[in-house]
Amino acid sequence: MTLTTTDPNSARARHARPPLWRNTAVLKWFVQIIVLLAVLAAFWFFAAQARNNLSAKGIPVSYDWLDDPANIQLGEGIQTVDDPDGRRLTMSRALWVGMVNTLRIASIGIIAATAIGVVVGIARLSNNWLARKVSSIYVETLRNIPVLVQIILWLAILGSLGKLTVDSGPIPGWVIVSQKGISIPRVFFADGFYQFLSMLAVFAVPIWWVRRRMRRTQEEQGGTQRIGSVTFALSLVAVVIAWFANPVMAFLGPVFDGISDAWAVIPQGLMQAVLSIVAVLAAVTWIRRFLDSRRTPAGLAKLIDDDWFRMIFAGIAALLAVFVVVRGWPGLSSWIINSGSDLFGVIGDKFGDGRGSRPLDAMKPTLSEGRFVNYGPTGLTMTVFYASLFFGLVFYTSSFIAEIVRGGIQAVPAGQSEAAAALGLNRRQALRKVVLPQAFRVIMPPLGNQYLNITKNTSLGIAVGFSEIVQVGQTVYNKNSQTLAVFSIYMIFFLACSLTISFVVNTINRRLAIVER
Amino acid sequence: MTDTTIDTAPPEAPLPSPVRWVRDNLFSSVSNTVQTVAFTAVLLGLLRWVLGLVFADESNWVSVATNMRLLFTYNYPAEQFVRIWFAAGVLFVAVGASFAAWNINPSITLRRIGVSLMGTGGITLVVALITPSATPSGLRTAMWVLGVALVVIAAVVLRVIPEPHRRRVPFLGLLIGVSAIVCAIMWFVPFGDYGFSEGEPTAADGIVASSTRVPWTVLFIIMIATYVAGRGLAQVVSLAPLRRAMIAWWVIGPAFIVFMVLRDPEFDWAHIWSTDLPMAAGFALGGGALIYLLAAPGRSDLARVLGAIVAAAAVFNWVAAFFGWYPMLQKARFSFALAAIAILLVPNFAGERSARLRVAAVWAGFMVVFHWLLTGINTASTLDITAPPFLGGFVLTVSIAYYVMLASFPLGVLLSLARTSKLPIFRVLSTTYIEVVRGVPLITVLFFFSIMLPLFLPSGMGISDLAAVFAGYTVFSAAYMAENIRGGLQSVRRGQYEAADALGLTTVQRTSLIVLPQALRVSIPNLVGQAIATFKETSLIAIVGGFDLLRIANSTIPNQPDFLGQKRPALLFISLVYFVVAYTMSRASRNLENRLQAGQAR
Repeated sequence: MTLTTTDPNSARARHARPPLWRNTAVLKWFVQIIVLLAVLAAFWFFAAQARNNLSAKGIPVSYDWLDDPANIQLGEGIQTVDDPDGRRLTMSRALWVGMVNTLRIASIGIIAATAIGVVVGIARLSNNWLARKVSSIYVETLRNIPVLVQIILWLAILGSLGKLTVDSGPIPGWVIVSQKGISIPRVFFADGFYQFLSMLAVFAVPIWWVRRRMRRTQEEQGGTQRIGSVTFALSLVAVVIAWFANPVMAFLGPVFDGISDAWAVIPQGLMQAVLSIVAVLAAVTWIRRFLDSRRTPAGLAKLIDDDWFRMIFAGIAALLAVFVVVRGWPGLSSWIINSGSDLFGVIGDKFGDGRGSRPLDAMKPTLSEGRFVNYGPTGLTMTVFYASLFFGLVFYTSSFIAEIVRGGIQAVPAGQSEAAAALGLNRRQALRKVVLPQAFRVIMPPLGNQYLNITKNTSLGIAVGFSEIVQVGQTVYNKNSQTLAVFSIYMIFFLACSLTISFVVNTINRRLAIVER
Repeated sequence: MTDTTIDTAPPEAPLPSPVRWVRDNLFSSVSNTVQTVAFTAVLLGLLRWVLGLVFADESNWVSVATNMRLLFTYNYPAEQFVRIWFAAGVLFVAVGASFAAWNINPSITLRRIGVSLMGTGGITLVVALITPSATPSGLRTAMWVLGVALVVIAAVVLRVIPEPHRRRVPFLGLLIGVSAIVCAIMWFVPFGDYGFSEGEPTAADGIVASSTRVPWTVLFIIMIATYVAGRGLAQVVSLAPLRRAMIAWWVIGPAFIVFMVLRDPEFDWAHIWSTDLPMAAGFALGGGALIYLLAAPGRSDLARVLGAIVAAAAVFNWVAAFFGWYPMLQKARFSFALAAIAILLVPNFAGERSARLRVAAVWAGFMVVFHWLLTGINTASTLDITAPPFLGGFVLTVSIAYYVMLASFPLGVLLSLARTSKLPIFRVLSTTYIEVVRGVPLITVLFFFSIMLPLFLPSGMGISDLAAVFAGYTVFSAAYMAENIRGGLQSVRRGQYEAADALGLTTVQRTSLIVLPQALRVSIPNLVGQAIATFKETSLIAIVGGFDLLRIANSTIPNQPDFLGQKRPALLFISLVYFVVAYTMSRASRNLENRLQAGQAR
């Protein structure tokens, strides 16, 4: 054989395979692994340095201090001091109080900022010149001043109010506005509330029936029935009647007590049998529905292995549930019996004795020794630190929400409202049924971002001494130098908040998304 | 390339008569009338409340007037103030030149000016009408006079001059007009006699406005002169080199101002001649020559092998330094690492002689600036300052915001590229980083860096508080920057990638020449938004220990014996400062967005 008769395959192979240092497949992974190693090395290096430096100072990282007594002064929150009945304010409890304070201000702030933001955002689109100007001045001013500056400015403004007395404020005795904070009456569920609620539930049935009838008439005969107004008027009448006539429903108290007693005498075996039957029935129903969904006009579609597996899994799950109820955990049945009985007993106790009583009542703010009462039966109090953080956050964020709302409404093409008008919808109907649902899709994602921002910005409370998680954490690590451990707690807490909010927003978004083929 | 201004605004229609306007806009229907009444009440209530805050008896505005210097430059020594004026002058020249280079000349119709004058005059009159009783009477009279004067001028502009909506005022006229108004206020408004002498506030002489009005006037004149000169130059030469020079200046210049002019390093010239200069020259020239040779077509394999060798040497340098085997200046270690990256990237720049020369020149220039800045930063300052950071007040706020944006930009680009890349390890690493950083509040990141960074560093290596905070800001901002740029990257069509591949470009060439320019152009509005957010977030320095505007207003001034507890005036004043800067930026960004959109539309 001569030299020219080389194997064509090997020649192509040699041609196709570049040298190692130019082979992209090799290079890609080589570079990635090098970078990964570099990142890991950097982590190792920093961690080693931190460990050396920390143990040189005699403060090794641990979480044992969580159970230590805290001995720190918390500005406000739920149970900030040692309990009389022996529960101590430990470090972990102090951090927990901080988390609750953060969530408290974040959740109320989200509601308030959304309310203001929506109003201002709609006012920016008003046909009134003054409304447009005032709302745009509001937005431009508030969003161009740093939120921290606004919070501290609020503290300076509120701090220069008058001294705290019962009469300081616009309505003496009821609304207190002072340099120590703002307090308004607390509205609470009074004795008649459950009677009131059950009476409303009774009235709901005829109202719902009238509504359904009117809607059917509208669909059959055309034209506009005043469904909304009629429902509103009837509901109003129902509320008024229930407000005064609620003692009528007091007979429900003994009824619930009776149910409670009856529930308590259910034998354990019966409960076990009922639970088992429910589990088996649920599995059977699920399998039947599943088979229905696989049915085509031509008969049952061919089931693949995965389908069989699902049905078998449902069956096994039901059998497992039966086993758990009967043998594995017999206590479950008696627990359900006991707690069910307790539940009905508690509901029964909520009903009064048939005498006249108000469903809702209000509590005046009370002072003790010239201070607000921190916790307990008193008015709804915002300390001056809470108030400055709250006002700063809410007004700042509402300006962003206003812009989001305006942008969302403007993003709906004008053709949509014109088409709605062409169909004969009036302006309100067009807004409610055509424009707003589409605007929501645009509004939702950035709105979720703003909610996240409010939650994260509550950490600025540290500048005004509001005891939220970051401020409490700082107090803790100033005491025991466990900085790394406290930072890890911060991080887990805020990441959990972010994930929750983005999960909720994503879920709503998926619901609102346009269904496409 | 054409440089005509793109004017997309439609021609303005003539104004309707005032009565007609009021009827159409305020009382067109019942709901409209209700809104007018409600919002009038809201507006007057708010205005009255704000005026009450400003003119309350307990608000001592002398505290702000006296501490103007503290608020803007903190404790920068008074005898060195010429440095600050020089820095401001350089900045004003750069602003004027940039306006000329990018041909920014928005013109405004006379009618717009008239309407805004009318609005300002009206608001001034309303304010004068409802001022609280604590207002000084002179001020109230001044407001009346000013309000009436503005309304009269506006009426003249709108009614006497024919067709005000067709006459445009050129940008130069606007620039001169605004500068003249600012200077006139400084020269003629009696701000009061408050000042500093020997670090103590005095009420005797040297009022802030009168000691600074000459420099400010000169600065404005310089800015206008630069703009005129730049426009003249643009008639003669093409704008492209001017723009390139200005971009380079905006990247390097601020560092030059802070570390060379304001910080005034005391150079050890003997050391510079013996060590620093030769090292810089070696890296610049040697590296440049190597890059020039390796960039020749057909030498890419050689470049890769050499690059790998240099990279190994660079890594070895760091390992050796870690174990203390042999001493090497940190500057040299950084330069080696940079050289390795440059040589590895060289094959992407292979080309003809002029292209290779340009790449080599860029490297040499970069090395010179890099070494010069590092030398300056590592040299002790000559400034005689009692408290260590020489930056404070407004200067600190602005510098931190600027450098954070500058430093987080390359980081953000890399992170966004990694997040959108097809390589799984890069994607996971970058996504984790971005999501973790975006999930936690800025203040915890800053605390982490200011407390933990010193612990993470090897013993003997210190870091100043401000540098640690700066690192925290950069790390935080980079994650948001990455998300903004990712939005731009996703808007680049697939066809662009495929076209680049069809041309035979390498991945680096495709990314840097085709994809990134388009992606960055799309993300400019978002990046300006982020710049505004960063500027506002610098106020958090006050919590972690820097003396920025907020800290001075909130704790330094209220602790001065003369102004104990005077928080409100200073806080209101810095709110105004933040507002002016942030609002200007957001207006500029809106104009920029319109300009970019107009450019896209054509």
